[in-house]
Amino acid sequence: VSCSMSGEEDLFLEEKRFKQYCEEFIKHSQQIGDGWEWRTSKDLGDGYLSKTHFQVRNRNISPDLKEKNNDNIEQTLFTHVEESLDDSQVAGVCATEEVIRYEYHVLYSSSYQVPVLYFRACFLDGRPLTLDEIWKSVHACYQARLLEGPWDTITQQEHPLLGQPYFVLHPCRTNEFMSSVLTGSRKQNRHPNYIILWLSTVGPVVGLNLPLSYAKIASEQNTNADSV
Amino acid sequence: MTDDKDVLRDVWFGRIPTCFTLYQDEITEREAEPYYLLLPRISYLTLVTDKVKKHFQKVMRQEEVNEIWFEYEGTPLKWHYPIGLLFDLHASNTALPWSITVHFKNFPEKDLLHCHSKDVIEAHFMACIKEADALKHKSQVINEMQKKDHKQLWMGLQNDKFEQFWAINRKLMEYPPEDSGFRYIPFRIYQATTERPFIQKLFRPIASGGELHTLGDLLKDVCPSAITSEDGEQKTQVMIHGIEPMLETPIQWLSEHMSYPDNFLHISIIPRPTD
Repeated sequence: VSCSMSGEEDLFLEEKRFKQYCEEFIKHSQQIGDGWEWRTSKDLGDGYLSKTHFQVRNRNISPDLKEKNNDNIEQTLFTHVEESLDDSQVAGVCATEEVIRYEYHVLYSSSYQVPVLYFRACFLDGRPLTLDEIWKSVHACYQARLLEGPWDTITQQEHPLLGQPYFVLHPCRTNEFMSSVLTGSRKQNRHPNYIILWLSTVGPVVGLNLPLSYAKIASEQNTNADSV
Repeated sequence: MTDDKDVLRDVWFGRIPTCFTLYQDEITEREAEPYYLLLPRISYLTLVTDKVKKHFQKVMRQEEVNEIWFEYEGTPLKWHYPIGLLFDLHASNTALPWSITVHFKNFPEKDLLHCHSKDVIEAHFMACIKEADALKHKSQVINEMQKKDHKQLWMGLQNDKFEQFWAINRKLMEYPPEDSGFRYIPFRIYQATTERPFIQKLFRPIASGGELHTLGDLLKDVCPSAITSEDGEQKTQVMIHGIEPMLETPIQWLSEHMSYPDNFLHISIIPRPTD
Protein backbone atom coordinates (compact mmCIF):
# COMPACT_ATOMS: atom_id res chain seq x y z
CA VAL A 1 0.00 0.00 0.00
CA SER A 2 1.25 3.51 -0.75
CA CYS A 3 3.51 5.00 1.88
CA SER A 4 2.95 8.31 3.54
CA MET A 5 4.76 10.39 0.92
CA SER A 6 2.41 12.86 -0.70
CA GLY A 7 2.08 13.47 -4.40
CA GLU A 8 -0.37 12.64 -7.14
CA GLU A 9 1.51 9.42 -7.89
CA ASP A 10 -0.05 8.13 -4.68
CA LEU A 11 -3.53 8.13 -6.06
CA PHE A 12 -2.60 6.19 -9.17
CA LEU A 13 -2.62 2.46 -9.03
CA GLU A 14 0.63 0.72 -9.86
CA GLU A 15 0.39 -2.54 -11.73
CA LYS A 16 1.98 -4.51 -8.87
CA ARG A 17 -0.55 -3.09 -6.43
CA PHE A 18 -3.33 -3.90 -8.88
CA LYS A 19 -2.31 -7.56 -8.85
CA GLN A 20 -2.05 -7.63 -5.05
CA TYR A 21 -5.50 -6.11 -4.58
CA CYS A 22 -6.90 -8.56 -7.13
CA GLU A 23 -5.36 -11.43 -5.19
CA GLU A 24 -7.10 -10.29 -2.00
CA PHE A 25 -10.30 -9.83 -3.97
CA ILE A 26 -10.19 -13.35 -5.43
CA LYS A 27 -9.49 -14.86 -2.03
CA HIS A 28 -12.62 -13.29 -0.60
CA SER A 29 -14.68 -14.14 -3.66
CA GLN A 30 -13.72 -17.78 -3.24
CA GLN A 31 -14.70 -17.67 0.44
CA ILE A 32 -18.20 -16.44 -0.33
CA GLY A 33 -18.65 -18.18 -3.67
CA ASP A 34 -18.99 -14.96 -5.65
CA GLY A 35 -17.62 -16.50 -8.83
CA TRP A 36 -14.64 -14.28 -9.65
CA GLU A 37 -11.47 -15.83 -11.02
CA TRP A 38 -8.05 -14.62 -12.13
CA ARG A 39 -7.03 -15.24 -15.73
CA THR A 40 -3.58 -14.79 -17.23
CA SER A 41 -2.63 -14.25 -20.85
CA LYS A 42 -0.30 -16.96 -22.10
CA ASP A 43 2.55 -14.93 -23.49
CA LEU A 44 3.25 -11.90 -21.32
CA GLY A 45 1.80 -12.85 -17.97
CA ASP A 46 -0.74 -10.03 -17.87
CA GLY A 47 -3.78 -10.95 -15.87
CA TYR A 48 -7.32 -9.86 -15.23
CA LEU A 49 -10.33 -10.59 -13.05
CA SER A 50 -13.21 -12.40 -14.71
CA LYS A 51 -16.79 -13.22 -13.76
CA THR A 52 -19.78 -14.56 -15.66
CA HIS A 53 -23.34 -14.43 -14.44
CA PHE A 54 -26.88 -14.59 -15.74
CA GLN A 55 -29.66 -12.12 -15.27
CA VAL A 56 -33.27 -12.34 -16.22
CA ARG A 57 -35.00 -9.47 -17.91
CA ASN A 58 -38.76 -9.13 -18.09
CA ARG A 59 -39.96 -6.86 -20.83
CA ASN A 60 -43.32 -6.03 -19.25
CA ILE A 61 -42.20 -4.42 -16.04
CA SER A 62 -40.38 -1.08 -16.07
CA PRO A 63 -36.84 -1.01 -14.65
CA ASP A 64 -36.98 -0.67 -10.91
CA LEU A 65 -34.78 -1.34 -7.95
CA LYS A 66 -35.42 -4.24 -5.67
CA GLU A 67 -33.04 -4.98 -2.83
CA LYS A 68 -32.89 -8.07 -0.79
CA ASN A 69 -31.99 -7.68 2.83
CA ASN A 70 -29.39 -10.32 3.17
CA ASP A 71 -25.66 -10.48 2.75
CA ASN A 72 -25.93 -11.29 -0.90
CA ILE A 73 -27.51 -8.18 -2.36
CA GLU A 74 -28.23 -8.57 -6.04
CA GLN A 75 -29.78 -5.65 -7.78
CA THR A 76 -31.22 -6.71 -11.06
CA LEU A 77 -31.45 -4.13 -13.77
CA PHE A 78 -34.91 -5.28 -14.59
CA THR A 79 -37.37 -6.40 -11.98
CA HIS A 80 -39.34 -9.54 -11.34
CA VAL A 81 -36.59 -12.06 -10.69
CA GLU A 82 -34.38 -11.24 -7.75
CA GLU A 83 -31.77 -13.91 -7.96
CA SER A 84 -29.19 -14.58 -10.59
CA LEU A 85 -29.55 -17.98 -12.13
CA ASP A 86 -26.98 -20.62 -12.79
CA ASP A 87 -26.83 -22.65 -15.99
CA SER A 88 -29.19 -25.39 -14.86
CA GLN A 89 -31.99 -23.03 -13.93
CA VAL A 90 -31.73 -20.91 -17.00
CA ALA A 91 -33.47 -23.25 -19.41
CA GLY A 92 -36.62 -23.26 -17.32
CA VAL A 93 -37.34 -19.56 -17.69
CA CYS A 94 -40.43 -18.80 -19.66
CA ALA A 95 -40.65 -17.00 -22.97
CA THR A 96 -41.74 -13.58 -21.74
CA GLU A 97 -38.52 -13.31 -19.83
CA GLU A 98 -35.15 -13.07 -21.45
CA VAL A 99 -31.98 -14.41 -19.94
CA ILE A 100 -28.86 -12.40 -20.51
CA ARG A 101 -25.39 -13.75 -19.95
CA TYR A 102 -23.00 -11.09 -18.63
CA GLU A 103 -19.28 -11.44 -18.67
CA TYR A 104 -17.19 -8.92 -16.69
CA HIS A 105 -13.44 -8.44 -16.89
CA VAL A 106 -11.29 -6.11 -14.81
CA LEU A 107 -8.08 -5.20 -16.61
CA TYR A 108 -5.27 -2.84 -15.76
CA SER A 109 -4.63 0.20 -17.96
CA SER A 110 -0.99 1.18 -17.92
CA SER A 111 -1.80 4.35 -19.86
CA TYR A 112 -4.16 5.72 -17.20
CA GLN A 113 -2.79 3.63 -14.32
CA VAL A 114 -6.25 2.62 -13.23
CA PRO A 115 -8.37 -0.52 -13.48
CA VAL A 116 -10.84 -0.70 -16.37
CA LEU A 117 -14.12 -2.59 -16.54
CA TYR A 118 -14.79 -4.52 -19.75
CA PHE A 119 -18.02 -6.43 -20.22
CA ARG A 120 -20.17 -8.09 -22.76
CA ALA A 121 -23.70 -9.38 -22.73
CA CYS A 122 -25.61 -11.76 -24.93
CA PHE A 123 -28.87 -13.66 -24.99
CA LEU A 124 -28.82 -17.41 -24.62
CA ASP A 125 -29.00 -17.92 -28.35
CA GLY A 126 -25.71 -16.08 -28.67
CA ARG A 127 -27.08 -12.81 -29.97
CA PRO A 128 -25.06 -10.03 -28.39
CA LEU A 129 -26.76 -6.98 -26.91
CA THR A 130 -26.30 -3.84 -28.96
CA LEU A 131 -24.76 -0.68 -27.54
CA ASP A 132 -28.25 0.79 -27.55
CA GLU A 133 -29.63 -2.07 -25.48
CA ILE A 134 -26.70 -1.73 -23.09
CA TRP A 135 -27.34 2.00 -22.66
CA LYS A 136 -31.02 1.39 -22.03
CA SER A 137 -30.19 -1.19 -19.40
CA VAL A 138 -27.97 1.16 -17.44
CA HIS A 139 -29.14 1.67 -13.88
CA ALA A 140 -31.79 4.41 -13.72
CA CYS A 141 -29.78 6.79 -11.55
CA TYR A 142 -26.85 6.84 -14.01
CA GLN A 143 -29.01 7.47 -17.04
CA ALA A 144 -28.73 11.27 -16.73
CA ARG A 145 -24.92 11.18 -16.80
CA LEU A 146 -24.99 8.84 -19.78
CA LEU A 147 -27.39 11.03 -21.73
CA GLU A 148 -25.04 13.98 -21.35
CA GLY A 149 -22.35 12.28 -23.34
CA PRO A 150 -22.90 8.67 -24.22
CA TRP A 151 -19.65 8.53 -26.14
CA ASP A 152 -17.78 9.45 -23.00
CA THR A 153 -18.97 6.68 -20.79
CA ILE A 154 -19.76 3.30 -22.33
CA THR A 155 -18.52 2.38 -25.76
CA GLN A 156 -17.59 -0.73 -27.66
CA GLN A 157 -13.87 -1.41 -27.82
CA GLU A 158 -11.44 -4.16 -28.65
CA HIS A 159 -10.43 -6.20 -25.60
CA PRO A 160 -6.66 -5.56 -25.35
CA LEU A 161 -5.81 -9.15 -24.47
CA LEU A 162 -8.46 -11.16 -26.30
CA GLY A 163 -8.93 -8.98 -29.37
CA GLN A 164 -12.73 -9.29 -29.34
CA PRO A 165 -15.37 -6.56 -29.06
CA TYR A 166 -16.37 -5.71 -25.49
CA PHE A 167 -18.14 -2.79 -23.93
CA VAL A 168 -15.99 -0.56 -21.78
CA LEU A 169 -16.60 1.95 -19.03
CA HIS A 170 -14.18 4.74 -19.92
CA PRO A 171 -11.24 5.02 -17.57
CA CYS A 172 -10.21 8.63 -18.05
CA ARG A 173 -12.41 9.92 -15.23
CA THR A 174 -11.63 7.10 -12.79
CA ASN A 175 -8.90 9.03 -11.04
CA GLU A 176 -11.28 11.92 -10.38
CA PHE A 177 -13.74 10.04 -8.24
CA MET A 178 -11.24 7.61 -6.75
CA SER A 179 -9.00 10.38 -5.43
CA SER A 180 -11.67 11.77 -3.13
CA VAL A 181 -12.45 8.31 -1.78
CA LEU A 182 -8.81 7.45 -1.26
CA THR A 183 -7.85 10.79 0.30
CA GLY A 184 -10.62 10.35 2.85
CA SER A 185 -9.33 6.94 3.81
CA ARG A 186 -5.75 8.14 4.09
CA LYS A 187 -6.82 10.82 6.56
CA GLN A 188 -8.19 8.08 8.75
CA ASN A 189 -4.97 6.16 8.27
CA ARG A 190 -6.78 3.33 6.52
CA HIS A 191 -5.43 1.66 3.41
CA PRO A 192 -8.33 0.35 1.39
CA ASN A 193 -8.35 -2.26 -1.31
CA TYR A 194 -8.53 -0.03 -4.41
CA ILE A 195 -10.23 -2.69 -6.51
CA ILE A 196 -13.09 -3.22 -4.08
CA LEU A 197 -13.68 0.52 -3.68
CA TRP A 198 -13.53 1.10 -7.40
CA LEU A 199 -15.65 -1.88 -8.45
CA SER A 200 -18.33 -1.15 -5.89
CA THR A 201 -18.60 2.35 -7.41
CA VAL A 202 -18.55 1.60 -11.14
CA GLY A 203 -19.98 -1.91 -11.20
CA PRO A 204 -23.60 -1.00 -10.38
CA VAL A 205 -23.71 1.26 -13.45
CA VAL A 206 -23.71 -1.89 -15.55
CA GLY A 207 -25.50 -4.31 -13.30
CA LEU A 208 -22.52 -5.67 -11.42
CA ASN A 209 -22.89 -5.65 -7.66
CA LEU A 210 -20.57 -6.65 -4.87
CA PRO A 211 -21.98 -8.40 -1.85
CA LEU A 212 -21.57 -6.35 1.32
CA SER A 213 -19.07 -8.75 2.82
CA TYR A 214 -16.37 -7.31 0.56
CA ALA A 215 -16.51 -4.19 2.68
CA LYS A 216 -15.05 -6.20 5.54
CA ILE A 217 -11.78 -6.72 3.72
CA ALA A 218 -11.78 -3.42 1.83
CA SER A 219 -10.18 -1.61 4.71
CA GLU A 220 -7.98 -4.29 6.13
CA GLN A 221 -4.41 -3.18 6.42
CA ASN A 222 -2.44 -5.83 4.65
CA THR A 223 0.82 -5.71 6.55
CA ASN A 224 2.46 -8.12 4.12
CA ALA A 225 1.88 -5.71 1.26
CA ASP A 226 3.64 -2.90 3.08
CA SER A 227 6.85 -4.83 3.29
CA VAL A 228 6.89 -5.64 -0.43
CA MET B 1 18.74 16.55 -47.07
CA THR B 2 15.13 15.87 -46.19
CA ASP B 3 13.66 18.24 -43.69
CA ASP B 4 11.91 16.61 -40.76
CA LYS B 5 8.68 18.37 -41.74
CA ASP B 6 8.77 16.59 -45.09
CA VAL B 7 8.47 13.33 -43.20
CA LEU B 8 5.21 14.56 -41.67
CA ARG B 9 3.83 15.26 -45.14
CA ASP B 10 5.01 11.94 -46.56
CA VAL B 11 3.32 10.10 -43.73
CA TRP B 12 0.08 12.08 -44.10
CA PHE B 13 -0.22 11.68 -47.87
CA GLY B 14 0.69 8.00 -48.13
CA ARG B 15 -1.83 6.05 -50.23
CA ILE B 16 -2.57 2.40 -50.96
CA PRO B 17 -4.17 1.47 -54.27
CA THR B 18 -7.05 -0.83 -53.44
CA CYS B 19 -9.55 -2.93 -55.38
CA PHE B 20 -12.89 -3.55 -53.67
CA THR B 21 -14.88 -6.59 -54.78
CA LEU B 22 -18.34 -7.52 -53.59
CA TYR B 23 -18.54 -10.87 -51.82
CA GLN B 24 -19.93 -13.44 -54.25
CA ASP B 25 -22.75 -14.60 -51.94
CA GLU B 26 -24.24 -11.12 -51.65
CA ILE B 27 -27.50 -10.92 -53.56
CA THR B 28 -27.41 -8.47 -56.46
CA GLU B 29 -29.80 -7.45 -59.20
CA ARG B 30 -26.97 -6.96 -61.68
CA GLU B 31 -23.34 -7.91 -61.87
CA ALA B 32 -21.22 -5.91 -59.43
CA GLU B 33 -18.10 -4.36 -60.92
CA PRO B 34 -15.04 -4.00 -58.69
CA TYR B 35 -14.33 -0.50 -57.38
CA TYR B 36 -10.85 1.01 -57.31
CA LEU B 37 -9.76 3.58 -54.76
CA LEU B 38 -6.56 5.09 -53.36
CA LEU B 39 -6.87 4.68 -49.58
CA PRO B 40 -5.13 7.11 -47.21
CA ARG B 41 -2.78 5.15 -44.95
CA ILE B 42 -3.54 7.38 -42.00
CA SER B 43 -7.32 7.12 -42.10
CA TYR B 44 -9.92 4.48 -41.26
CA LEU B 45 -11.80 2.17 -43.63
CA THR B 46 -15.29 3.26 -42.63
CA LEU B 47 -14.32 6.93 -42.91
CA VAL B 48 -13.17 6.80 -46.54
CA THR B 49 -15.39 4.19 -48.20
CA ASP B 50 -18.71 6.01 -48.66
CA LYS B 51 -18.17 5.82 -52.43
CA VAL B 52 -17.51 2.10 -52.20
CA LYS B 53 -20.75 1.58 -50.32
CA LYS B 54 -22.74 3.67 -52.79
CA HIS B 55 -21.21 1.83 -55.73
CA PHE B 56 -22.31 -1.59 -54.52
CA GLN B 57 -25.64 -0.46 -53.15
CA LYS B 58 -26.57 0.53 -56.69
CA VAL B 59 -26.76 -3.12 -57.72
CA MET B 60 -28.39 -4.40 -54.55
CA ARG B 61 -31.88 -4.27 -53.16
CA GLN B 62 -32.35 -1.97 -50.18
CA GLU B 63 -33.33 -4.82 -47.86
CA GLU B 64 -30.13 -6.73 -48.61
CA VAL B 65 -27.95 -3.85 -47.41
CA ASN B 66 -26.87 -3.95 -43.78
CA GLU B 67 -23.77 -2.63 -42.05
CA ILE B 68 -20.80 -2.81 -44.40
CA TRP B 69 -17.71 -4.73 -43.38
CA PHE B 70 -14.45 -5.60 -45.08
CA GLU B 71 -12.38 -8.71 -45.29
CA TYR B 72 -8.99 -9.66 -46.71
CA GLU B 73 -8.30 -13.32 -47.55
CA GLY B 74 -10.84 -14.49 -44.99
CA THR B 75 -9.76 -12.14 -42.22
CA PRO B 76 -12.30 -9.51 -41.17
CA LEU B 77 -10.55 -6.12 -41.27
CA LYS B 78 -10.79 -4.07 -38.08
CA TRP B 79 -12.01 -0.67 -39.21
CA HIS B 80 -10.75 0.89 -35.98
CA TYR B 81 -7.14 0.16 -36.99
CA PRO B 82 -5.60 2.73 -39.38
CA ILE B 83 -5.63 1.55 -43.00
CA GLY B 84 -1.82 1.65 -43.29
CA LEU B 85 -1.49 -0.62 -40.27
CA LEU B 86 -3.96 -3.14 -41.73
CA PHE B 87 -2.08 -3.19 -45.02
CA ASP B 88 1.38 -3.51 -43.45
CA LEU B 89 0.19 -6.25 -41.13
CA HIS B 90 -1.76 -8.37 -43.63
CA ALA B 91 -0.67 -7.56 -47.16
CA SER B 92 2.53 -5.57 -47.32
CA ASN B 93 4.54 -8.09 -49.30
CA THR B 94 1.83 -8.91 -51.82
CA ALA B 95 1.18 -7.44 -55.24
CA LEU B 96 -0.76 -4.20 -55.57
CA PRO B 97 -3.60 -3.31 -55.75
CA TRP B 98 -4.71 -4.53 -52.35
CA SER B 99 -7.77 -6.75 -52.89
CA ILE B 100 -10.45 -6.22 -50.27
CA THR B 101 -13.79 -8.05 -50.21
CA VAL B 102 -16.92 -6.10 -49.29
CA HIS B 103 -19.75 -7.64 -47.22
CA PHE B 104 -23.20 -6.46 -46.23
CA LYS B 105 -24.41 -9.63 -44.52
CA ASN B 106 -23.42 -11.82 -41.56
CA PHE B 107 -21.57 -9.14 -39.64
CA PRO B 108 -18.87 -10.95 -37.59
CA GLU B 109 -19.99 -9.89 -34.09
CA LYS B 110 -17.12 -11.67 -32.40
CA ASP B 111 -14.42 -9.99 -34.45
CA LEU B 112 -15.44 -6.49 -35.41
CA LEU B 113 -16.65 -3.41 -33.60
CA HIS B 114 -19.83 -1.92 -34.98
CA CYS B 115 -19.59 1.37 -36.83
CA HIS B 116 -23.08 2.71 -37.34
CA SER B 117 -22.05 6.33 -37.87
CA LYS B 118 -19.11 8.70 -38.24
CA ASP B 119 -19.61 9.62 -34.57
CA VAL B 120 -18.31 6.19 -33.61
CA ILE B 121 -15.12 6.77 -35.60
CA GLU B 122 -14.67 10.22 -34.10
CA ALA B 123 -15.16 8.88 -30.56
CA HIS B 124 -12.61 6.14 -31.18
CA PHE B 125 -10.10 8.55 -32.76
CA MET B 126 -10.40 11.05 -29.92
CA ALA B 127 -10.12 8.30 -27.31
CA CYS B 128 -6.80 7.23 -28.87
CA ILE B 129 -5.51 10.80 -28.89
CA LYS B 130 -6.47 11.21 -25.25
CA GLU B 131 -4.78 8.00 -24.27
CA ALA B 132 -1.63 9.01 -26.16
CA ASP B 133 -1.55 12.32 -24.29
CA ALA B 134 -2.07 10.56 -20.97
CA LEU B 135 1.17 8.75 -21.75
CA LYS B 136 3.08 11.73 -23.14
CA HIS B 137 1.92 14.55 -20.88
CA LYS B 138 -0.27 13.07 -18.12
CA SER B 139 -3.18 14.41 -20.21
CA GLN B 140 -2.19 18.02 -19.46
CA VAL B 141 -1.96 19.20 -23.07
CA ILE B 142 -5.17 17.56 -24.32
CA ASN B 143 -7.13 18.73 -21.27
CA GLU B 144 -5.96 22.32 -21.70
CA MET B 145 -7.30 22.40 -25.25
CA GLN B 146 -10.75 23.68 -26.00
CA LYS B 147 -13.45 21.53 -27.52
CA LYS B 148 -12.99 23.36 -30.82
CA ASP B 149 -9.34 22.29 -30.92
CA HIS B 150 -10.39 18.66 -30.45
CA LYS B 151 -12.91 19.14 -33.24
CA GLN B 152 -10.21 20.57 -35.47
CA LEU B 153 -8.10 17.44 -35.10
CA TRP B 154 -11.02 15.30 -36.18
CA MET B 155 -12.06 17.59 -39.03
CA GLY B 156 -8.48 17.73 -40.28
CA LEU B 157 -8.40 13.95 -40.47
CA GLN B 158 -11.86 13.61 -41.94
CA ASN B 159 -11.27 16.21 -44.66
CA ASP B 160 -7.65 15.31 -45.34
CA LYS B 161 -6.40 18.74 -44.30
CA PHE B 162 -2.75 18.44 -43.25
CA GLU B 163 -2.28 22.06 -42.16
CA GLN B 164 -5.56 22.19 -40.25
CA PHE B 165 -4.66 19.01 -38.38
CA TRP B 166 -1.06 19.92 -37.55
CA ALA B 167 -1.96 23.43 -36.37
CA ILE B 168 -3.33 21.69 -33.28
CA ASN B 169 -1.39 18.43 -33.29
CA ARG B 170 1.96 20.23 -33.02
CA LYS B 171 1.03 21.11 -29.43
CA LEU B 172 0.66 17.40 -28.67
CA MET B 173 4.21 16.91 -30.00
CA GLU B 174 5.85 19.44 -27.69
CA TYR B 175 7.46 18.82 -24.33
CA PRO B 176 8.77 21.01 -21.47
CA PRO B 177 12.20 22.52 -22.24
CA GLU B 178 13.70 20.91 -19.15
CA ASP B 179 12.79 17.44 -20.48
CA SER B 180 14.32 15.78 -23.52
CA GLY B 181 11.12 14.11 -24.63
CA PHE B 182 7.74 12.74 -23.68
CA ARG B 183 7.00 11.01 -20.40
CA TYR B 184 6.19 7.71 -22.09
CA ILE B 185 5.95 6.83 -25.79
CA PRO B 186 2.50 5.91 -27.15
CA PHE B 187 3.07 2.78 -29.23
CA ARG B 188 1.47 -0.54 -30.10
CA ILE B 189 3.22 -3.53 -31.65
CA TYR B 190 1.18 -5.90 -33.78
CA GLN B 191 1.84 -9.43 -34.93
CA ALA B 192 -0.77 -11.25 -37.00
CA THR B 193 0.17 -14.59 -35.48
CA THR B 194 -0.69 -13.91 -31.83
CA GLU B 195 -4.05 -14.10 -30.02
CA ARG B 196 -3.16 -10.91 -28.20
CA PRO B 197 -4.07 -8.12 -30.62
CA PHE B 198 -1.12 -5.88 -29.70
CA ILE B 199 1.59 -5.21 -27.15
CA GLN B 200 1.49 -1.91 -25.32
CA LYS B 201 3.67 -1.07 -22.32
CA LEU B 202 5.10 1.92 -20.48
CA PHE B 203 8.37 2.91 -22.15
CA ARG B 204 10.43 6.02 -21.54
CA PRO B 205 12.14 7.70 -24.51
CA ILE B 206 15.10 8.84 -22.40
CA ALA B 207 17.34 6.55 -20.40
CA SER B 208 18.29 7.44 -16.81
CA GLY B 209 21.68 8.67 -18.02
CA GLY B 210 20.04 11.01 -20.53
CA GLU B 211 20.65 8.95 -23.67
CA LEU B 212 17.89 8.64 -26.23
CA HIS B 213 16.31 5.20 -26.40
CA THR B 214 16.10 3.73 -29.89
CA LEU B 215 13.57 1.64 -31.76
CA GLY B 216 15.87 -1.31 -31.12
CA ASP B 217 15.82 -0.59 -27.38
CA LEU B 218 12.02 -0.58 -27.42
CA LEU B 219 11.80 -3.89 -29.25
CA LYS B 220 14.41 -5.50 -27.03
CA ASP B 221 12.39 -4.46 -24.02
CA VAL B 222 8.85 -5.40 -25.03
CA CYS B 223 9.14 -7.77 -27.97
CA PRO B 224 12.62 -9.33 -28.09
CA SER B 225 11.55 -12.08 -30.49
CA ALA B 226 11.16 -9.41 -33.17
CA ILE B 227 14.86 -8.69 -33.36
CA THR B 228 16.73 -11.67 -32.03
CA SER B 229 17.84 -13.69 -34.97
CA GLU B 230 17.74 -17.46 -35.08
CA ASP B 231 20.64 -18.95 -37.01
CA GLY B 232 21.93 -15.42 -37.50
CA GLU B 233 19.03 -14.77 -39.89
CA GLN B 234 16.50 -12.03 -39.40
CA LYS B 235 13.17 -13.78 -39.87
CA THR B 236 10.95 -10.74 -39.34
CA GLN B 237 10.54 -7.18 -40.55
CA VAL B 238 9.71 -4.25 -38.31
CA MET B 239 7.44 -1.99 -40.33
CA ILE B 240 5.94 1.46 -39.81
CA HIS B 241 4.06 3.21 -42.63
CA GLY B 242 5.32 0.67 -45.12
CA ILE B 243 9.01 1.15 -44.38
CA GLU B 244 11.57 -0.46 -42.09
CA PRO B 245 13.12 2.31 -39.98
CA MET B 246 16.67 1.73 -38.79
CA LEU B 247 16.70 0.19 -35.33
CA GLU B 248 19.10 2.94 -34.25
CA THR B 249 16.43 5.62 -34.79
CA PRO B 250 15.61 7.45 -31.54
CA ILE B 251 12.11 6.45 -30.45
CA GLN B 252 11.37 10.05 -29.43
CA TRP B 253 11.96 11.15 -33.05
CA LEU B 254 9.79 8.33 -34.36
CA SER B 255 7.02 9.29 -31.99
CA GLU B 256 7.12 12.94 -33.13
CA HIS B 257 7.38 12.24 -36.84
CA MET B 258 5.93 8.85 -37.66
CA SER B 259 2.97 8.52 -35.36
CA TYR B 260 -0.42 8.19 -36.94
CA PRO B 261 -2.88 11.08 -36.48
CA ASP B 262 -4.10 9.30 -33.32
CA ASN B 263 -0.60 10.05 -31.94
CA PHE B 264 0.31 6.38 -31.62
CA LEU B 265 3.22 4.61 -33.28
CA HIS B 266 1.59 1.51 -34.78
CA ILE B 267 4.37 -0.98 -35.46
CA SER B 268 3.94 -4.22 -37.42
CA ILE B 269 6.13 -7.28 -36.99
CA ILE B 270 5.73 -9.36 -40.12
CA PRO B 271 7.49 -12.35 -41.66
CA ARG B 272 10.38 -11.34 -43.89
CA PRO B 273 9.76 -12.41 -47.49
CA THR B 274 12.06 -15.24 -48.47
CA ASP B 275 12.76 -14.33 -52.11
